[in-house]
Amino acid sequence: MSTRENIMRHLNIVGQLQPALHQPQHAPTGDLIDNAHFRAYTRTSHDVGGEADVPITWEEKEEEIWEHNTFVTCEVLAWRGVWNAEERRRRQNVDVGQTIYLGMPYYGRWLMTIALILVDKQHVKLTELIDKIEEVKQRAKKQDGQFYDAKGHDL
Amino acid sequence: MSKSHHVEKATGVGDPQCFKGEAPAAKFKVGDKVRIRNLPDIFYTRSQMYLREAEATVVKLVYESPPAEDEAWDNTDSPEWFYSLLFKQTDLWPDYPKKFETDTLETELSERWLEGI
Amino acid sequence: MSNSDNHDHKAAPMVDEISDFEALEVAVRELCIEKGLFTQDDHNEWTEYMHTLGPLPAARLVAKAWLDDDYKQLCIDDPVKASLEVGINWITSMPSNFGTPSDYCNPRILVDTPTLKHVVVCTLCSCYPRPILGQSPEWYRTPNYRRRLVRWPRQVLSEFGLQLPEDVEIRVADSNQKTRYVVMPVRPEGTDGWSEDQLTEIVTRDCLIGVAQPRADRKADDKRPIIRAVHAYGH
Repeated sequence: MSTRENIMRHLNIVGQLQPALHQPQHAPTGDLIDNAHFRAYTRTSHDVGGEADVPITWEEKEEEIWEHNTFVTCEVLAWRGVWNAEERRRRQNVDVGQTIYLGMPYYGRWLMTIALILVDKQHVKLTELIDKIEEVKQRAKKQDGQFYDAKGHDL
Repeated sequence: MSKSHHVEKATGVGDPQCFKGEAPAAKFKVGDKVRIRNLPDIFYTRSQMYLREAEATVVKLVYESPPAEDEAWDNTDSPEWFYSLLFKQTDLWPDYPKKFETDTLETELSERWLEGI
Repeated sequence: MSNSDNHDHKAAPMVDEISDFEALEVAVRELCIEKGLFTQDDHNEWTEYMHTLGPLPAARLVAKAWLDDDYKQLCIDDPVKASLEVGINWITSMPSNFGTPSDYCNPRILVDTPTLKHVVVCTLCSCYPRPILGQSPEWYRTPNYRRRLVRWPRQVLSEFGLQLPEDVEIRVADSNQKTRYVVMPVRPEGTDGWSEDQLTEIVTRDCLIGVAQPRADRKADDKRPIIRAVHAYGH
């Protein structure tokens, strides 16, 4: 098989590795994974160019308040030198792994990545993050589950 | 706490402007034919799989910058030249209709991904 | 809810009342501020900067280039300088003073001709020239667009209503590194004698991405269904 044929075969394999319940894997032994599948499982999830997909309805979307805030937080963290955008992309678009990559919303990954970088770079302990999320949720319960006012400011 | 390189290096200057002059002399020039190396892409790459082993023509030397694979860990030690490369769609995709033979694709890769042919 | 929402995708109602996304967003932002990583003022300042962004500067750049061959050449030779003339400084317009962290400072203008049509995608994520074009549209960010445009550009473009003859070369630009692309379409027929303002009006966002062609009678992008937000951000 030519090397370009190998490339095309890779695209066929990874195009089928999307969250699904019909190909269960329970950590097979090494002899069961050929090089093509080694490559497929260790692929970088963001590299989707050329995979097959179907025509869809192209849609616009209203931005959620949390999505806007998430985007701004990501840019401001880079502005203030906590990370650069490429570190963010690597964590957000590849480190998250294939299932989160296609399973979670676009800005859901941006948001998870903020949380993880705070812990990874030791600005925040994981226990502090957990406690803070819980505190914020309890606060929201007293506000009818709302975090923001009509203008998008924090309540 | 160490700060990301931008704050020190790029303020008032811009990125990739801040890396100007830091790469070794460019290996390729406009018009050169290159093949895209199929290096391991373990953990991170910004060199798309669909380009690997394909042939392209260098159309522009665009800027110097650390390769994305290093910048993704905030390492800016070794900037290299980045090239804009032109591919024929019929070279990339076996199913690309021959009647649209002139269709092309342009994208950028850093020097490590290229070999001369 | 109302009749006007008939064709729009409605946001699915949350099962719980507490949104995990909203809780996490507030939590991390408060922690960033508590730990001194940035201030609420910083966050507000970047929000204000985002409010200034939209497709008009890029539209005006194209209109100016249609009217002035020297400016068109500047757009090709030095897009950072050309952007200054439509009020955009890729390095200092934003609070960081080193460009936006995600969009960098290397714009490139892709000049269409009657036999060359450009269209832009970022297959790896959704890189977009925000400082001169504003926020990216939802469809541009989808895995679907990113998978298909590079390999089936004519099919995807026909879904956007654009079909081009075989003697036109379609060039897909995959913005996978630090360059950010803006498409300069061909000036359409029926615009002789038009002012810069009039020409600016017909260069819409979709034309600047490359999925639409400007027309003398077209002042807005095609209407598409809008996914509604649960708590929409609106300024």
